[in-house]
Amino acid sequence: MARRVAVVGAGMTRFVRRAQETGKELAWEASREALASCELPLDRIDAVCLTSAPDAFDGVHMKGEYLSDGAGAFGRPYMRTYVGGGSGVFTAIQAYYTVASGMADVVLAVAEEKMSSTQPHPQGAFLTIFDNILERPLGPNLLWIFALEMNRYMTVHGIDKRDIAAVAVKNKRNAADHPAALLGQADITIEDVLTSETLAWPVQRLDVSPISDGAVAIVVASEEAAKQITSDPVWIQGVGWNLDTAYWTNRDLVFPEYVANAARMAYGMAGVTEPRKQIHVAEPYDPFDYKELHHLEGLLLFDKGKAPEAARDGVLDRKGDLPSCPSGGLLGVGNPIAAAGLMKIAELFWQLRGEAGARQVPGSPERGVAQAWGDLMQVGTVVVMGREGGPPTTATQLETPPTATPGQSLSDAEFRSATGAVDDEIGARYAWDAGVAIGRFLDGLREGTIWGRECRNCERILVPPRMFCERCFRGTDTWKQVENTGVVQTFSICNVRWDMLPLDEPELPAVIAIDGSDGGFLHTLGEVKPDDVRIGMAVEAVWKPVGERTGSILDIAYFRPRSDV
Amino acid sequence: MLEKIARPEQIRRWDGDLPVRHRYTPGVAGDAFFTALKERGVLLGSRCESCAYTYVPARLFCERCFAELSADTEVGPGGELVSFTIVFQGIEGEPLERPETLGAVRLDGADAVLIHRVLEPGEEPLEIGERVEVVVRPENERAGSFLDIAGFGVVDAS
Repeated sequence: MARRVAVVGAGMTRFVRRAQETGKELAWEASREALASCELPLDRIDAVCLTSAPDAFDGVHMKGEYLSDGAGAFGRPYMRTYVGGGSGVFTAIQAYYTVASGMADVVLAVAEEKMSSTQPHPQGAFLTIFDNILERPLGPNLLWIFALEMNRYMTVHGIDKRDIAAVAVKNKRNAADHPAALLGQADITIEDVLTSETLAWPVQRLDVSPISDGAVAIVVASEEAAKQITSDPVWIQGVGWNLDTAYWTNRDLVFPEYVANAARMAYGMAGVTEPRKQIHVAEPYDPFDYKELHHLEGLLLFDKGKAPEAARDGVLDRKGDLPSCPSGGLLGVGNPIAAAGLMKIAELFWQLRGEAGARQVPGSPERGVAQAWGDLMQVGTVVVMGREGGPPTTATQLETPPTATPGQSLSDAEFRSATGAVDDEIGARYAWDAGVAIGRFLDGLREGTIWGRECRNCERILVPPRMFCERCFRGTDTWKQVENTGVVQTFSICNVRWDMLPLDEPELPAVIAIDGSDGGFLHTLGEVKPDDVRIGMAVEAVWKPVGERTGSILDIAYFRPRSDV
Repeated sequence: MLEKIARPEQIRRWDGDLPVRHRYTPGVAGDAFFTALKERGVLLGSRCESCAYTYVPARLFCERCFAELSADTEVGPGGELVSFTIVFQGIEGEPLERPETLGAVRLDGADAVLIHRVLEPGEEPLEIGERVEVVVRPENERAGSFLDIAGFGVVDAS
């Protein structure tokens, strides 16, 4: 039987564009605040859980080892975990099971991210999340994947962009009350969002959270330890996490089923049977404004496609029926990847204790849910936290958020001229093998054909092909040639490169469902005006001349609207 | 499984990279350390009284007890050679024209050990435990870098 587990302390640094502190120093600042908030010395900590996004984001190899001293891990059991953007919430889950299992009584959980070291743009590190053989030759950038998902979500549900922009406005206004926020703005309007630069349609500049540096820490304790430490513990009532398929072009881009699966797991553990009544405050993951809505639906708090109306009607406001991201979220407070997720856990801790100061949601909320999302858009991490019932005890109530918000920002000039700064290049080069299934697939492309693998068990024809079916976990059975035509599932009109420099001609990335298969892949559209592209458009592959084909995804030059339909 | 090179004509590889560079700034404690090194030619450490431990280079916090520290303790220039190695190959495995000696040194007043080159070890073989001294480059050659330290020089026993 798992032991009951509570959060008893929390602390964070400011989220800034570029921190003066090193990653270690940021981790220590946040950890010290968390320990101070519950008056614990470091020697009361039995074990340390750390998270930080993959090493390339900071350019520090083995970041877990590097950050260990700042996380208080000296001489302690210690493990770093990461699941991309889902990491911050996951490290609270890691702390939960470390304590629930009886392995430790008091755990410090720390999330740190320092992205400002990466030049010219941290997106360079994101590029390798795309398939090296089928997607990177197309020159994708991270915005594509969001823009493609956002477009499909908007189109399928007929969502007005204004209702999505309302999320960015809400969060940046909420963040104006957060002492750690990077992008709080009390007077921002929907028009500001809708007139901001279009990066990759429908994604505009103010739909996106900012790259940031920062750290967050929480203290997690067993029931017995928690009651010694504080009169006001906040219980971790349920945790859940879940992954979708690694083939993102094969996923339902409209509804995040993996978030729903993670939510069901967490609600089940927490005894939550009617989340819309039993959840009083939510901190869904909001790296983009539409993602908050997408995730609120995944968390089963709104019907599919109905969260945007809630944003429009003020339901998600701090004083609305379901306050969502009262912290200001990633859009307002900032997005140091792993730290941003744990910030949501810290915010629930403060909200449920009645300590959120100017950000406090009214009505003494008793239960909240925090969620993050990551890897290649496929992991959902969910934590349900709650009080025992009744209003917060007044003894520990503070006027202002219990955070001293350490953390100093460096200006561009200071960054360029800092004494002791070091410039470095990893200089790593890679050679990726095509493998068995994709090798055969590429042979087909050279011949002007598209091939899939059939799984007779689930009766699917998998494109891109794989030698095993990830659902049935058995070898696939036969090669099947599929059509050279398909249907646009979603598309974007992208105006920027991965390093955010403008493109001369916009690119038209699209997810194409291939006729005769149950899958599809990423490619680009041609011979069509951007304004004429529609989801559902029938398209056909345009092949390079035979002599120019090399057995590459680029043997298909692009897809164009079919002339025969 | 297929043998990876069973069909050499079929081998297909995609070359790629991770197109990022990094610029690391030294942080709060690092700023104090490098500024003192550049401007005054001295090495600053941080003393934690409760742990009775002096870190070098300076640190913002004690990793043992989490106390806040400052760059309050000048260490060296003398110290003790704790260990050393003589490197005969470069990073690609190529032989070095002149072997390079690296030393781990506990500077006087410090508990932490610093790694740097050992300068001109001379004819006598190095010995663990022997006295060395930090050699800092002249002021006009210092840029605020760890290489403002030229290395450790062996102190003549005589």
